[in-house]
Amino acid sequence: MSSRTITGAVAALTIALTASSGFAAEKKLTIGVADALTGGGAVYGLPQANAVKMAADEINAAGGIKVGSDNYKIDVIAYDDKANPTEATNAVRKLIDRDGVKYILGFCCSGSTSAVASFIGNEKAVMLVGNAAERSITTKKIPNLVRTRPPADYTGQAAGTFIARKGHKRIAVLGALDVGFYAQYVDAVEREVKKTGGEIIAREVFSLRDRDMTPQLTKIRGLNPDAILVVGYVEPAAFVYRQAVELGMNIPRYGFTSGSEEQFLRVTTSEQMEGVWDLRPTELTLLSATKNGIAYHANYTKKYNASPSPSSPYAYDQLYVLKAAIEAAGTVDDTVVVAKAIRGLPVPPQVVMQYQPVDGKMFDVNGQAYTSNGAFQWQKGKWVFVEDLPSDSKAYSQFLSTLN
Amino acid sequence: MLIEILQQTINGLAIGGVYVLIALGLTTVFGILGIAHFAHGSISMFGGYLTFFLVTSQGLPVLAAIPVALATGILLGLLVEMLAYRPVRHANHINAFIVALGLTMMVEGINLQLFGHEQVVIPTGLSRVFRFGGITVPELRLYVIIAAIVLVVAMMVFVERTKTGQAIRAVAENRDAAILMGVNVKSIPLIVFGISTALGVAAGIMVGALFAIAPGIGEGFVVKGFAVLILGGLGSFPGAILGGTVLGITESIAAGFISSAYKDVIAFVVMILVLLIRPQGLLGRTP
Repeated sequence: MSSRTITGAVAALTIALTASSGFAAEKKLTIGVADALTGGGAVYGLPQANAVKMAADEINAAGGIKVGSDNYKIDVIAYDDKANPTEATNAVRKLIDRDGVKYILGFCCSGSTSAVASFIGNEKAVMLVGNAAERSITTKKIPNLVRTRPPADYTGQAAGTFIARKGHKRIAVLGALDVGFYAQYVDAVEREVKKTGGEIIAREVFSLRDRDMTPQLTKIRGLNPDAILVVGYVEPAAFVYRQAVELGMNIPRYGFTSGSEEQFLRVTTSEQMEGVWDLRPTELTLLSATKNGIAYHANYTKKYNASPSPSSPYAYDQLYVLKAAIEAAGTVDDTVVVAKAIRGLPVPPQVVMQYQPVDGKMFDVNGQAYTSNGAFQWQKGKWVFVEDLPSDSKAYSQFLSTLN
Repeated sequence: MLIEILQQTINGLAIGGVYVLIALGLTTVFGILGIAHFAHGSISMFGGYLTFFLVTSQGLPVLAAIPVALATGILLGLLVEMLAYRPVRHANHINAFIVALGLTMMVEGINLQLFGHEQVVIPTGLSRVFRFGGITVPELRLYVIIAAIVLVVAMMVFVERTKTGQAIRAVAENRDAAILMGVNVKSIPLIVFGISTALGVAAGIMVGALFAIAPGIGEGFVVKGFAVLILGGLGSFPGAILGGTVLGITESIAAGFISSAYKDVIAFVVMILVLLIRPQGLLGRTP
């Protein structure tokens, strides 16, 4: 072999290697996040967006998403929907039409999520919903939509059983009852409480921006309830807990809020929170967390210099679900195939939440995932996981399938 | 029932005190300069944010942070008058209106950039609760009510008993006559904005300590402030005091005895009813 031939072969090999490595590096999958990054919903939305970015960094560091011989590195574009239906519609339209995004994650809040869900079925895109708990989001049988958080009434049923078991007969409710999923949670609680002869004696309302709850609490105090149930976003709920103590209401306080210790302590003191129950899906707290949960908490805290909100892993898990589905489908372009693959997945090993599979699959026929529910109590500055709230995901899934 | 009424009245007095301070600032500017100062709410919340910053980031005690915030408020008021409103003082009213709207957006944006999107609560360490019979009064609310009363009395004394206060009233009554009487009308707008903004900052601190400050909160308070102005009578100091107190207590009683869902609606219905009977407001003068 002449030296000329050898030189030519080496040059050809070098070019081929350079070209192939360059080609692999250019593979990029852009995913979108539409979530509340500012405003009242940001207590849920911002940690969700952070969680997706963290998952993307982890997946990229581990080599990306493998599709055949290609590795896709994930690029995240996040838009602020302010938990507002119009803003959410605009954000998602921008992601699909301008940025060419096919996979959209996030979605912390029900009003904005429902607005996007109303048209996503007509798009060549896949929507993965996180913290938004309005039941109707997964009753419309939208094939390209799945949700990682269980609906509110699934949890409300378990919460009602727990409250009834505590022997309370007269329960006063104070909450964001003009928001559908909170009302659904309370309805489910009421059904369970009634089975043991209890009743809801008051349904008082606060809005997202309300901070002075003393008028409602004074009214409730006058009714002498056995317990109070607070359903709503973290910030107004924190004011309810604080002002109930200030009004001398020494009765058990139950809630459905999913706020972190840090979020509550911005408004109340630990002493004012002592003994409060949060009856919610078994979300992230260090005492209830699995190995994945503990690692997630540590990584998030290190990366963002703040503790993750309990519900933020719903969005973190979305990206691992998407990765598993794309790898199973063998395509990033065909969203119909990927959406179908999502519904056939078992629970991926990297997820943080403790999902209860239905027939061995993470999502049921409605595109709904279920976690276990838990009773958490504030004890000495921390949410402490006290016990599981028995929940039948299969029975609820069948019930959900009957709804339109 | 009596205890509940008294408790709701106490509940309403604290928020009513905040409304009074906001409305006094607005009525001072409107009555004397004829400007609907929409940015007042956002500037008030800036004062609350500043106090929070001084307490949490600079380690100042609350009692030391409050005078710094009030002094900054006065300075800010002077700047607003000189840079935003003075150039359009002799122009059509619509110009001042547009400046007010623009200023609102600008201050909101500055608050967001400087202090972020998270809600903040000014830590005071006041968590005791006083009990009088069946009525409970949290320590912080009691101090807010007392502080509001002190500020209102100080404002009234200033306006009624000092030469500067008399000059302000003279300009409000009749600007031309005030000039003829030798009042330095050029300095009046500066003084008015300084006082008005300081009152607003005091209200912002109260909101931040009692409840929370967050982007957009100021707009809600300025709407309530204008409602108080109309309820009490445009340009009337006693009207602003009465209007703010009535609005605060009405909201509280309405939420307690009618429906918390329609708390704001009921308060505004009461306002409309009052205006049907007294179109000039509770203490306004008949034109």
